[in-house]
Amino acid sequence: MKYDKQALKQSGFKILSMIIPVLIAFAIGAIVILFAKENPLKIYFILFDRSFFRIQGLLKTLHYAGPLILAGLAIALSFKAGLFNMGIEGQIISAGFVVAVLGYLWQSLPSIVLIPLLLIIGTLVGVIVAILPAILKARYNVNEMVVTLLLNYAIIQVLEYLTSNVFRDPSSGYVSTNMIGQSAIMTRLFGSKLTMFFFVVVVVFVIFYYIFNRSKLGYEITAMGKNRFFAEATGMRIQRKIMIIMLTSGALAGLAGAGWMLSEKFSYTLDFSGTPGLGWDGMLIALLGSHSPIGILVAGIFYAILKTGSSNIAIFTNVPAEIIVLLQALIVLFLSLKMIIKAASKRASKRKEKN
Amino acid sequence: MDFIIKIFSDSLYFTGPILLCTLGGLFAYKANMINIGLEGMMLFGGFISALILFFTHSWIIAFIAAILLAILLGLLFSYFGVTKKANFIITGFAINLLAIAVGKYVLAALGSIDINVISDVTRQMAAIDLGIIGEIPVIGPIINKQSFLTYFSFILIFICQFVLFNTKFGTYVRVVGESEEAAKSIGISINKIKYLAVIIGALLCAFAGYNVAINQLASYTPDITAGTGFIAIAAIYCGAGNPKNSSLYAILFGLSRSLAVNLSLRIGTIAGLLEMIPYIMIIIVLTVVGIIRKRKTLYRGFLHE
Repeated sequence: MKYDKQALKQSGFKILSMIIPVLIAFAIGAIVILFAKENPLKIYFILFDRSFFRIQGLLKTLHYAGPLILAGLAIALSFKAGLFNMGIEGQIISAGFVVAVLGYLWQSLPSIVLIPLLLIIGTLVGVIVAILPAILKARYNVNEMVVTLLLNYAIIQVLEYLTSNVFRDPSSGYVSTNMIGQSAIMTRLFGSKLTMFFFVVVVVFVIFYYIFNRSKLGYEITAMGKNRFFAEATGMRIQRKIMIIMLTSGALAGLAGAGWMLSEKFSYTLDFSGTPGLGWDGMLIALLGSHSPIGILVAGIFYAILKTGSSNIAIFTNVPAEIIVLLQALIVLFLSLKMIIKAASKRASKRKEKN
Repeated sequence: MDFIIKIFSDSLYFTGPILLCTLGGLFAYKANMINIGLEGMMLFGGFISALILFFTHSWIIAFIAAILLAILLGLLFSYFGVTKKANFIITGFAINLLAIAVGKYVLAALGSIDINVISDVTRQMAAIDLGIIGEIPVIGPIINKQSFLTYFSFILIFICQFVLFNTKFGTYVRVVGESEEAAKSIGISINKIKYLAVIIGALLCAFAGYNVAINQLASYTPDITAGTGFIAIAAIYCGAGNPKNSSLYAILFGLSRSLAVNLSLRIGTIAGLLEMIPYIMIIIVLTVVGIIRKRKTLYRGFLHE
């Protein structure tokens, strides 16, 4: 009974450590909004009301949440193991690009074959892009953070070239690939933006919930993140684990990119993943969800609310939609403090000393 | 011949900001506080100096504003990372995000896509004419007509080398980075050293931002940094935090960026691909460094850097 209480308290702290940075960020955001001569409460009401408490808005939010949750899982998988893999963004856009090109070329195939095929190909593209940094990290211990970050820039350049020259849709007024065929577009459900892709995400989520919490791999990831040397000393094959983790995380990112293409974008443009980009959004989500699957689910939906809400803010108020990017950055900043968990553990250790 | 001179002259132009960020970042690196926020600090520097220059038309006020903001950012980063013991990789990342966010928000509020200060940038600010030195054949045209901060960045290599290895402060930074316990035992105030190391970095990054936004482009958009901060981090890693070695890599990266830009003028659309030369080159360099280090290692199994 006593143990349960402890666990409950711990998850309570976890939730608080999620909420407090968000509250601080919103408080600072409120000051900024006041400078724009608007009422912060009104802005925040619009933000949540239209994207969460109305059914069409909620479905739209869930639609946006799909790729975000996948990106969050991809980041959490590697960050939890102590691997600062920042390549998610590059993997997402590579997968999106390949799927866009193939979705146009193969449009004569029926939907039932084409869509699953493209999702699988997208996933594989994510894996392929992840191979290089994975090998470099696992075999030669090259800093994975620098490599993945720079690889992102390189990938952006390559895709920009391919989109604006080789695969450009000449009839389009701006730089873009040809639109994918009708048979590659995922059908919208319930008269909303939601597509089958969301349910694919749900299935993947359940699988990863199991992997994180119940599987040997999940345990090994946690062990690696806590102390890599100790993990190795106990006989874990770290090199192989690094490969598995980084490739799996690439697969998740690839799937996210493919789904985003087939359910929302339909052609590859230079702002396919938005700013700051799905991969970076995934980082915030993983942090906010403290690398646990349930946390990521909640954080992903919260984040999607911000995303849907930002367009409403731009429509209904004078505050620029960029206020949302500002809020996100502030949330990350205060998340880095992890204040509640620290304060709590400090108190716990003090109590132990007393006993 | 002109083409080759242009390549080298441009590589000085591109090296300047990279060098400033590299030299700034390596103090924090040596003090064991890897600052991922170099990119954001540079972007903030470019942003504030362009904004202030736009409204006051005085580059001195703009430069002072950049310095003040840099100190503020340095304090923020070190308050979080040192005093509060936050995960400073994430704090640095947050500063990068914040730099983009603040820039975008202000641009949206101004209803503009950039902050254009071209009318406030004099020719002397953009490129200093060295006079007689510029007349020397080959070398003259290469080094002539750069901005003050670009020249300063090259002088800074030697200053940093001196500070890091021949002054008390530099020694303290290295001691703190190598063993905090040892530093504590001889009475070095670790936090103070770390704060100073981070703030120096923030200042130099702000200079880099000022150099790009005011001297080189005369305008600010949220993408002017184009990964310079991360390239600097790579240069620091490759050179293991030694000012001379890291600077060598920074110059190499500046050269490859110049190659990409100049070749692209000659060979048409395919040149878009050349833009990735600097990034690929760094990855190759890091790999080679990694392989060499691995060869030298005598331990079994996987090792942390």
